[in-house]
Amino acid sequence: MFLLRMAFRNIFRQKRRTIITGSSIVGGFALAVIFIGWADGSYNGIIDQFTRTRLGHIQIHERAYLDRPSLYRTVDDPAAVGAVLDGMGEVESWAPRVYAAGLAGFGDKSAGARIVGIDPRRESRTTRFDRTIVEGRALGGPEAREAVLGRGLAEILGADLGDEIVLLSQGADGSIAEDLFTLVGVASSGDDMTDRTTCYLPLATAQEYFVLGDKVHEIAIVVTRLSRVRDLSEDIAAELADPDLSVAPWQVFAKSFYDAMQADKAGMWVILVVVVIIVAVGVLNTVLMAVLERRREYGLLKAIGTRAGRIVRLVVLEVLILSAAAMVLGAGIGLGVNAVLAGHGISLGSEFTYGGMVFDTMRSEINLRSFAIPAVTVFVAAVLVSLFPALKASRTEPAQTMRMH
Amino acid sequence: MDKGTDHLIVTESLAKDYFDGGAPVPAVRGIDLTIEAGEFTAIVGPSGSGKTTFLNLISGLDAPTGGKVWLKDKLLSGLSGNELSDFRRDHIGFIFQAYNLIPVLNVRENIEYIMLLQGVPEKERRERVGEILKEIGMAGFERRFPPKISGGQQQRVAIARAMVSRPELILADEPTANLDSGIGAELLDMMRDLNRRTGMTFLFSTHDPMVMDRADRVVTLHDGRVAKDDRRART
Repeated sequence: MFLLRMAFRNIFRQKRRTIITGSSIVGGFALAVIFIGWADGSYNGIIDQFTRTRLGHIQIHERAYLDRPSLYRTVDDPAAVGAVLDGMGEVESWAPRVYAAGLAGFGDKSAGARIVGIDPRRESRTTRFDRTIVEGRALGGPEAREAVLGRGLAEILGADLGDEIVLLSQGADGSIAEDLFTLVGVASSGDDMTDRTTCYLPLATAQEYFVLGDKVHEIAIVVTRLSRVRDLSEDIAAELADPDLSVAPWQVFAKSFYDAMQADKAGMWVILVVVVIIVAVGVLNTVLMAVLERRREYGLLKAIGTRAGRIVRLVVLEVLILSAAAMVLGAGIGLGVNAVLAGHGISLGSEFTYGGMVFDTMRSEINLRSFAIPAVTVFVAAVLVSLFPALKASRTEPAQTMRMH
Repeated sequence: MDKGTDHLIVTESLAKDYFDGGAPVPAVRGIDLTIEAGEFTAIVGPSGSGKTTFLNLISGLDAPTGGKVWLKDKLLSGLSGNELSDFRRDHIGFIFQAYNLIPVLNVRENIEYIMLLQGVPEKERRERVGEILKEIGMAGFERRFPPKISGGQQQRVAIARAMVSRPELILADEPTANLDSGIGAELLDMMRDLNRRTGMTFLFSTHDPMVMDRADRVVTLHDGRVAKDDRRART
């Protein structure tokens, strides 16, 4: 307590110097808080849009489906899985899907197609599928003999709304699947490759077409909190307790996207290095100056019986108190700026596309880690940097620095 | 290594060379001196005679380049840095010409600092600070900070700090040099009185005739050697 009191009073001996040092810490800390909050907000926005509009946050498949997709690897009782999901509060919505490869044709044109069976109502609620319709309308009832084509595929086939397209594929029973479907809509997902290959059918129609019965290949889930997907995946797997099913968060089934996000996020460390340099230079410079000015005082403390370790603690404590106060102020500034950026965002002026998704506004995010990471960084940097002047102070030779007068 | 005597301070061929551009400059040249407990001794001599260096050596603030110092039978060169700090804390009180109080501590805190290092309980610290403040005529000044009191008052506080932990030896380097003669005489009388009442040993480095007048032993140094050792009958 006595040492704390001394350290506290020492901080206010040179007010101007304290303000300069404190300002560099405040600035560095606030900068890091804002940057991390901004980076998290931007990336989480991208991730949420990517997963929410296409894949879902969590997917359930037959155990081996993700490694080797096949018409025969199915979730056999999607209704039972759905009942479990409906009972989980953190599951916002879910949508069953059927996938198969086939050939789409219209007139004398044909193209390879990825045929996707969806429940239009559930899909719209889960991935906002209805918002991707750019011409015509979304699919009707689950059993309607209708199709929605990706814009690119519709252009390749030269098909217009109301045209009858033919789909050719293979049923699960080994039979040839061939049927006519009325084109009721054209979808644009934002991803050209998807739009050039995808044909959407109502779920029941697709199940009948592929002779799958009630089976599906995938159940896509959207959750209320993106940060909880890993834990929630485990919870769902535990609830289902079915060894034939795999429950995967987006980081697993969209691994390349996840890896790209992680690589981009690595930029955060660059700003932390900048913060460390700002804090280190500010603290080292001023603390070293203070120590040199007070050599006589440290000499006195040693002369009257103060151990070297106590002097080290005194100097480090001064830096810690100053850092803590500066971080509180920096946190306030960072919180304020992030709150504005999270609430209003920054309009990008013109839209930009990332992985086929369109963005016009970026927003920040207020989270614990945007404060915790800079706090640990600043504390560690401040303490490490103050150790050198602290050790220098502790090695003061009383006879040399003060003489006995 | 213990000397095994009853003397408070024993120096044997004590020497200290400083180095100027690699060339040794002797400050103390082989001093053999014994100080008994309870003495009120003045080390005098012209500037550069080695008075301050001698005091630094016998307090362990500086290391000799030759010879030995025993303080309370303890060979100082045999102690580590922390042991020396602890030894000074427990056995030596310092009074400096420039007072050298800790500016961020108030009067009470300056006085109790050494007791705090010694682990004296707070209640006892407060009692002892209260007593010594009365003794030096500074009661009521507990919460004042050093820059807010006069030079004479600061030196009183420095004396109180040196004595409150009840060390066997008080080393005072030119304690009256920055004070006017009236206050200097008053403080010297106070220290003389404390010496007689408590039996603490006082060792002064000084030019001040007032100190020499009150000392019962005056050791004169010249060119780092003892030129004269004048013992007087205690008055």
